[in-house]
Amino acid sequence: MSATYDKLVDLLVGRFAVERTEIGPDVTFRELEMDSLFLVELVLVIQSEFGVGLDEDAASPDDTVAQAAELIESRTAAAAS
Amino acid sequence: MPAPALAVTGLGLVTAAGIGADTTWERVCAGVPTAARNPDLDGLPVDISCTVPGLDPVRDVGRRSPLTHDRFIQLGIVAAREAVASSGLDPVTWDGARVGVVVGCGLGGVGTWEAQHRRMLGQGPDTVSALLVPMLVPNMVAGHLAMELRATGPNFVTATACASGATAIGAAARLLHDGTCDVVVTGGAEAGVSPLMVTGFARMGALSRRLDEPAAASRPFDADRDGFVIGEGSGMLVLEREEDARARGATVRARLAGYGASADAHHITAPDPEGGGVRQAVRAALRQAAVVPAEVDHVNAHGTSTPLNDAVEARTLRKLLGDRASVTSVKGVLGHALGAAGAIEAVLTVLTVERSTVPPTANLERQDPGVELDVVHGAPRRQRVRVAMSNSFGFGGQNAVLVFTSA
Repeated sequence: MSATYDKLVDLLVGRFAVERTEIGPDVTFRELEMDSLFLVELVLVIQSEFGVGLDEDAASPDDTVAQAAELIESRTAAAAS
Repeated sequence: MPAPALAVTGLGLVTAAGIGADTTWERVCAGVPTAARNPDLDGLPVDISCTVPGLDPVRDVGRRSPLTHDRFIQLGIVAAREAVASSGLDPVTWDGARVGVVVGCGLGGVGTWEAQHRRMLGQGPDTVSALLVPMLVPNMVAGHLAMELRATGPNFVTATACASGATAIGAAARLLHDGTCDVVVTGGAEAGVSPLMVTGFARMGALSRRLDEPAAASRPFDADRDGFVIGEGSGMLVLEREEDARARGATVRARLAGYGASADAHHITAPDPEGGGVRQAVRAALRQAAVVPAEVDHVNAHGTSTPLNDAVEARTLRKLLGDRASVTSVKGVLGHALGAAGAIEAVLTVLTVERSTVPPTANLERQDPGVELDVVHGAPRRQRVRVAMSNSFGFGGQNAVLVFTSA
């Protein structure tokens, strides 16, 4: 997986007390017991850690970790172009 | 028809003395104050407090606790778990619909509130946590206990400032008296040692300014007292009807025999100098307990160490009870845990009854001559306590008095 994905995993472990072993690319945030309130927090953390702008509802509990990483990458690319 | 007798079957404490009811009991009996300088209050007009040492939210509460619980909720969860465990009841198997939760809290998640407000002012509204509201509203301590304990009966928080914990216990008793619940987990939780709150209390002139000597600052009933020392913590009790507790073979630690509540209707912060509201609450509590003033063996006083509270409380107690009852204030050791104080003191009153031991009032070196009471000081006193009263009085003139009797 990408460096973005790896960094996202580190944030989930470090900031959201998710067990590293439970995380996988196809695992949804809901499966990680992260509800919509947690995702608002996650978007805040992503904005400051990756320096990208995201709407507060950019991620939903049914998104997978890989989908979130892809979203971050697309926003990073958009910001760079 | 008389109200059914209520049994206290579980106790839990988290205080500035540490985690666990026995830890606090030993410290208050030793009479060693917990007040100390607090680096988080550096630069403020008052920088001393009594804070809970060594609570690790991840270890002691749960791995996501720092994300979802303000500190007052963490303190409440730890104390409630101890209380329920010591009752011998099992939340996995109990009928949760018959279990109520009533917790006193005067402030709520002020630490979270202040941190998020700073963030909003400094970095803008887009940086404010979505968990701000669920972390700060006071009712969430009871809400989290419901989730924690699978308790789906009536669930609420009482706010009567520094009487909140005692008010909660009184309200909980009603749920057992009227048959709404079979078990109630009740007490108080508060974590108000925040820069803004401490400053607010300091601006009121309520806090001790003995900053160079923090351990001596909280000195209830002493002639040289000059205010309270702010504290934090949680006290929790498990209450059941005595008949039910006996039927399941539980140890009855003491009985909750009476509760009285009143309002001074006098002033926003000062107590009624005539003690009219206190007298009314004491009489109501004794009446419900079916005891007369001369039968009261012991009073766990509100005893905040403010000049006015202690003077009025002492005068009122003397008029009502004479000088026969032993009196103590544990705030000399623990400081004033605000909305949790009444519950912490209720737990300690139960232990006083159960263990026939009255903890001393720390720092009582020269008793105020206006305090014509038998205030225990210097060392714990062995005393058979059949009837004990625990007083709590809140700003706003809200009074709550509990009466415990030996089992």
